[in-house]
Amino acid sequence: MIEVNALSKHYGTFTAVRTLSFQVGPGEVLGLVGPNGAGKTTTLRCLAGIIPPSSGTLRIAGYDLATEAIAAKRTLAFFPDEPRLFDYLTVRQHLSFVARVYGVRHHEAIAQPLLEEFEIATHADRLPGELSRGMKQKLAIACGLLHGPRVLFFDEPLTGLDPLGIRRMKKSIISRAQAGASIVLSSHLLHLLEEVCTHVLILKRGEKIADGTLAAVAARFSHGERHVNLEEIFLRATEETPQ
Amino acid sequence: MLRALLYLRFMSGKNWLTVRWQRLRQPKYLAGAIVGGAYFYFFFIRSFQGVATPPPLLEAVHSSLPLDVVPMIAAIGSLALLAIVALLWLVPTEPATLGFTEAEIAFLFPAPISRRALIHFRLLSAQLRSLLGAGIMMLFSQRWTFIGGNALTHTIGWWFIFSALNLHFSGAAFTLSRCAALGLGLWRRRLGILITVGTCLGLTCAHLPATEAATALAPANTWPTIIQNALILTETAPLRWLLWPVQRLMGPFFAENAPSFFASLPAALALLTLHYLWVVNSAVAFADTAIEQAQKQGTRHAAWRAGAPLLSDPTRAARPDPFTLAGSGRPEFAFLWKNLLSTWRYFTPRVFGASAALILAGCLWLSRADGAPEQLSVIGVGALIFAGYTLIIGPQFARQDIRQDFAHADILKTYPLSGWQIILGELLTPIILLTSLVWLALLTAACSLPNTAHPQLEISLSLRITGIIAIGLITPALVALQLLVPNAAALVFPSWFHTSRTRGGGPEVIGQRLIFFFAQLLTMTCALLPPLGGGALLIFIWQGLLGLTAAVAIASVFVLAILIGEVAGGIWLLGAQFERVDLSLEIRT
Repeated sequence: MIEVNALSKHYGTFTAVRTLSFQVGPGEVLGLVGPNGAGKTTTLRCLAGIIPPSSGTLRIAGYDLATEAIAAKRTLAFFPDEPRLFDYLTVRQHLSFVARVYGVRHHEAIAQPLLEEFEIATHADRLPGELSRGMKQKLAIACGLLHGPRVLFFDEPLTGLDPLGIRRMKKSIISRAQAGASIVLSSHLLHLLEEVCTHVLILKRGEKIADGTLAAVAARFSHGERHVNLEEIFLRATEETPQ
Repeated sequence: MLRALLYLRFMSGKNWLTVRWQRLRQPKYLAGAIVGGAYFYFFFIRSFQGVATPPPLLEAVHSSLPLDVVPMIAAIGSLALLAIVALLWLVPTEPATLGFTEAEIAFLFPAPISRRALIHFRLLSAQLRSLLGAGIMMLFSQRWTFIGGNALTHTIGWWFIFSALNLHFSGAAFTLSRCAALGLGLWRRRLGILITVGTCLGLTCAHLPATEAATALAPANTWPTIIQNALILTETAPLRWLLWPVQRLMGPFFAENAPSFFASLPAALALLTLHYLWVVNSAVAFADTAIEQAQKQGTRHAAWRAGAPLLSDPTRAARPDPFTLAGSGRPEFAFLWKNLLSTWRYFTPRVFGASAALILAGCLWLSRADGAPEQLSVIGVGALIFAGYTLIIGPQFARQDIRQDFAHADILKTYPLSGWQIILGELLTPIILLTSLVWLALLTAACSLPNTAHPQLEISLSLRITGIIAIGLITPALVALQLLVPNAAALVFPSWFHTSRTRGGGPEVIGQRLIFFFAQLLTMTCALLPPLGGGALLIFIWQGLLGLTAAVAIASVFVLAILIGEVAGGIWLLGAQFERVDLSLEIRT
């Protein structure tokens, strides 16, 4: 579903991402981890078609993002760390707008369960200015899920959510993966990644340090120890790997 | 404590200047500073140095003014100032605030500073802003040589006016807050003020001497007569009493020479001191409202920097859908639907229809009144000027397009749409808004100008109808072309566009705006030359064979076709640019 081949992104002389390659299959959840400035957000933005890569090929659900961008974008949803909402559209109007952009017929039947799932149905006629940070995040997620994307990119999805919202979000990610979606999730919350991810990719200064299933990556950095958690793996991976 | 607060203000000002000076290293600011500096030099500074002679038109206007023009302007100015003061009591709906910023609230409100010291701090800060405003106004009034005085007296004169207005605003707001706390409702207060104003005007009219009453209260058809009648009223009690302090306040500005300036100072200073004491002593609890106001202001400025219009209110109430948006259909209309929701609620087809009906009825009514031709010609010419201004300046204000949504560009880029679809969708709302305004103005002109007494404007009915239809059809294309230029600027030079939306002006920002303005003028000239040149040629060729009306029709079709082609090409190019633009370099990383 997601195929990344030799992705690089340069800003002038600075290289944000260097020849990154990986794949995410249906039903897989890839956790993208790395220290600040590792290139996680840049990678996600390239994958979502927001910024063009400097080189490399990206295929989303079989479509080349460079040559078949529109077809590729119909299948994906991107959830930024900060909810990006229109100040003058209510919750319901946001969903109507997104439905038209993605051509979702009879969207009300899909929108209402989403609003209820994310507990914002009672705020449907409110503007973003009247919503809390967490509710805005939930609305942004509901908008992204409206067209039933098969590929989902989350950039710090739990920021601003309350404990119940976090639990529901995790369930939502897992259930969508179980339904066959390919998901890439960037977060500094390593316990979240441990709970929901099937695979992990560790980035440092734009380069891939390790990727694979959680067990495989753990085995590589556990040095024979048992029950090493992802936090320890992450610290060892980023400290041990020279640049 | 006040010294610490003044230190804050002084250092903030100093750092503001330093940052502006340092950013001149960037070409975009340096170019703006050069153009802005040149503008200031050629339009203002040279007149101080005596290098430049006043423009011939300005000189001709000045020499044609009547001898008693200064007292007349002073009287009109005092009336205007009195009207502003009345509005300060009539309009406010919000409780009093002193305009604290969010940072000032965060640092100063929990600090061991008395509320009175905070008030002093805000009032003194406001005086500095008044002085800056006075300096800018002086640059303009310095050219009004017939008033007398010099740059210094004008600056001080303006400062007295701005300062007093500022203090009166705060004083009125505090007093109104006290009244509200005592149970005086908004509409009761407004009714009371309107009754007071009405009574004052009624008593003034009643006090008019019989000879002047006949003149002053007679129906006036021309502007000179209206002004003359107003002047008679200003010299009659009790309006004369109300105007007395206002005229004392304006004394320094209208002082012809040094002796009259110094003579006017004591009264103006006394008025200012009284205002200051009034504000300090009438201040009520303002913390809660100040916090709320600062948050609103912060949100508004953040929205403006992101591309929303300056006067937009992010805390506005939700609005009903402008039309029903189905889930399927052209996605461009989703942008029209969305952006219509961001406009004023009065931009509806119903209001447009009612306006058109009002214009028609008004012109019909005016055409039957005495002195109709003169008034109608003024209205007609005014409407044409308005249409022209809307066409030229409108795109700077109607920003319900990609400029407004630039902050959401990352999300727009994830939509499964081509760049040209997003640009077209984004442009639809301002095109409709500006076209509607231009159409209304053209309707006004069409209803007014045919009734004028100028024989040279007499044209045949068929040509008039053809011309109106042609202009009406061309208008949307012309508006779209005008809108493409600032949108292109925002997409091709995003960092320049964002620079022009940073807070705090300066010559470099004015220069950047001038560069944008001239670039727009140049682009429009280049874009309009082919259709207009071709159209003129077609009229020249065909009018001998088919007559002027048919030639105009043929030329209009040609002009429209070329304009549509240019707009389509422009949208396609902008769409490609939107797809290319690397947001991570321009907006946020």
